[in-house]
Amino acid sequence: MKDIKGILLGIGIAAAVLVTLSFYVLNAGNIELEEFFLIGIVIILVVSAMYIIWDRIKNVNKGLPAQDERLKLTNYKACSYGFIASIWSAVGIPLISGILFDFEMPGNYVTAVVVLCGGLTFMISYLYFAYKGE
Amino acid sequence: MKTRIKELRARYDLTQEELAKKIGVRRETILFIEKGKYNPSLKLAHDIAKALQTTVDELFIFKDDE
Repeated sequence: MKDIKGILLGIGIAAAVLVTLSFYVLNAGNIELEEFFLIGIVIILVVSAMYIIWDRIKNVNKGLPAQDERLKLTNYKACSYGFIASIWSAVGIPLISGILFDFEMPGNYVTAVVVLCGGLTFMISYLYFAYKGE
Repeated sequence: MKTRIKELRARYDLTQEELAKKIGVRRETILFIEKGKYNPSLKLAHDIAKALQTTVDELFIFKDDE
């Protein structure tokens, strides 16, 4: 029951993100290249989350648990990598954009990049550790 | 660390999935333990040993240099 609740919550969050993203795209008017890049990362994150949810549904249907001790450890490990990536991107991305492109990043862009960098690092490390082993 | 899980599974004619169901873990976890890519907790090691009707120290072979 706990597994099913988790799966339903995951589907709900992914659907909410997609609905929000579609509202944004429909009302944004002209979308610039940087925004395309950020939207692409969000779509990659949602697709990866859907893959993880589908894998959990497959396991629950077979009578296996959606998550076990190895996946919990994998989750913690991926979370810590995501956290480190967020901190480094908060410091590094404004610096790089300032030095290399002579562009001072607005605060909302930095926030978006930090969230997306953390999320992407979490997803990549989670999928790597979960399906390739440690 | 090496394990005898594969050997004992074959003895009891169990697939990785059947053993995983018995213990309550995912199939990949059994696969990674067999390959030596994941060190299970003491409780999981005990559960696997129990499911394969053996003891933890017979199931896992430790080398001193590890």
